[in-house]
Amino acid sequence: MTLAADVPRPAPVVEPGVTLRSLSEQVSGRLLSRRPPLWWWVGFGWALALLLVLIVSVTNLFVTGIGIWGVNIPVAWGLAIAEYVWWIALASGGTIVSALFHVTRSPWRSATNRIAETMLLSAAACAGIMPILHLGRPGLFYWLFPYSTVMGVWPQVRSPLWWDFVCLLCYILMSIMYYYVGLVPDVATVRDLAQSRSKKVFYGVLAMGWRGSARHWRKHKTVYAIMSAIMAPMVISVHSVVGLDFAAGLTPGWHSTQFPPYFFFGAVISGTALVVMLTILVRWGYGLENVITDYHLNALGKLVLVGSVMLGYAYLFEAWGPIYGADAADKTEFASRVFGFTAGAYWGKIALNILIPQLLWLPAIRRSKAALFLICAGIIVGMWLERYIIVVSSLHRNHMPSYWGVYYPTAWDWSILAGSIGLFLTMFFTLLRIVPIVAMSEVREIIDKGGPR
Amino acid sequence: MSNGEPLGLVGVFASPQPMVEAARQLHALGIEAVEAYTPYPVEALGEQAHAGRPTALPWIMAAGALVGACCGYFIQYWDEWLSYPLNVGGRPYNSWPAFTVGAFEVTLLFAVAAGFFGLWFACRLPRLYDPKVEAEVFDRASTDRFVLRVETGASNVPRDRIRRVFEQHGAEQIVEVAA
Repeated sequence: MTLAADVPRPAPVVEPGVTLRSLSEQVSGRLLSRRPPLWWWVGFGWALALLLVLIVSVTNLFVTGIGIWGVNIPVAWGLAIAEYVWWIALASGGTIVSALFHVTRSPWRSATNRIAETMLLSAAACAGIMPILHLGRPGLFYWLFPYSTVMGVWPQVRSPLWWDFVCLLCYILMSIMYYYVGLVPDVATVRDLAQSRSKKVFYGVLAMGWRGSARHWRKHKTVYAIMSAIMAPMVISVHSVVGLDFAAGLTPGWHSTQFPPYFFFGAVISGTALVVMLTILVRWGYGLENVITDYHLNALGKLVLVGSVMLGYAYLFEAWGPIYGADAADKTEFASRVFGFTAGAYWGKIALNILIPQLLWLPAIRRSKAALFLICAGIIVGMWLERYIIVVSSLHRNHMPSYWGVYYPTAWDWSILAGSIGLFLTMFFTLLRIVPIVAMSEVREIIDKGGPR
Repeated sequence: MSNGEPLGLVGVFASPQPMVEAARQLHALGIEAVEAYTPYPVEALGEQAHAGRPTALPWIMAAGALVGACCGYFIQYWDEWLSYPLNVGGRPYNSWPAFTVGAFEVTLLFAVAAGFFGLWFACRLPRLYDPKVEAEVFDRASTDRFVLRVETGASNVPRDRIRRVFEQHGAEQIVEVAA
């Protein structure tokens, strides 16, 4: 069964009325209009307010120290680490939608990939600051770079924590390059449609003189396809290594061989869920219903469902290990996870990530924007709960009963969460005003193939 | 601009197919210096519109990957074996399984970086001013028009013949450009 076959009114990838000209003007017009729409100001205002929260919290954190958080021995990893994993999973979803489905040549990817990648860059920035905030001595984070210092001290590169640093660094750099290669032909369009001198210069410099010559296109296409094929395994490796951060520890609940794929499944569902939410919002805000159709949302909804089923499999195995195994510490930790200290969060994640998303089997739910949006928002919350449980539950029931304890986040823990959302939204809203949010050159190919000549 | 003589003939088409046909015919006439400017990659253009030799960029990216693999491994080897050997539970200093992850990531980074910089180098970009494409007709090639540019001086085919080919295939606009 193809994607289009089970939508009652077969949804076109691009509405028939869209022409090369109307598409270019529609997408570029959002950037060239002098005044951003009201919803943009409202969203950006909230984003800035939350960003201010982050600035205040981080300042206090740097001045006072991580004692302002609830972390202590035995639960020495708190919300900052949980949110690092959460953000990097959200970022990974952008690459999954963009790179993996470029490799498979899925037509729905073309109108949504720019939203996904913009989300990726914004979320990766939030992920990047979290471990640094958690360091305690954030000014020394550069000690992670492997270079010959005058002290003669090197980082321990056998540690998964160092692997993680390399992964994140490479991932962000590669994502920026991948983003820019895809962006250049589109900013060239904006440059050519711009009227004002300042915008002509700005987009002219950004487009670097791209003219869409056949020779350039051929090279561009080749490089972009190879880059996509590299980005897809890259993103799997990034989130697998995040899983190894935990799996390499001997702590009950962490020391599990399934962690790398388990974390990647989480990235698929949560990242795609955020792409769906942002796609629905951008589509509504910018009036892009003719380019981002029910076809796209149907496909994305199915991807969320696939992520949910995969994650359900991982949850089963997460339970199977302690139940079938003979390790008393594993059993104790798991009992506390399900029925004890984190029980509320545990059953919350089961409901939000596994049970409720099963509604997406129904085509009517996938067609309803409100239902899709709410389910995806639930998944984002559910995935946050999952990261919270993984980090906190294992540490609070370690091997020795004398080493047991609990963790309660303080207001400063929560303000960092709120603030990081502010950083994400500020970046996203800013990019929304700067970059063409639909990959025009790719949608043009679809118009050419499907539309009337 | 050198002697005021028009050096290029530009045909503007409304859809890709006639442009490909025109390029094909010009190619058959023996004109090599044909360049197409399109709002999206038109696959049918192939060799007709001076697409040039197959690009070496995939090999450059592969070379980047190889260099990345060596660098990525070496810096860890340098760290753990040459410069700062640290005995952790008797594990070998050259712990290649542990070094694989770092080496893998750097491999991919170098491959993508080689493709990124190689692409701009191969396209001779950034080039913010290019007299060949300064004429206003080229502005629409990024939106909805398919533009063919022929260097009239580069072959013996008379300019009128080229103009006729453009007309036959329904060019909307034919412009002589000076540069």
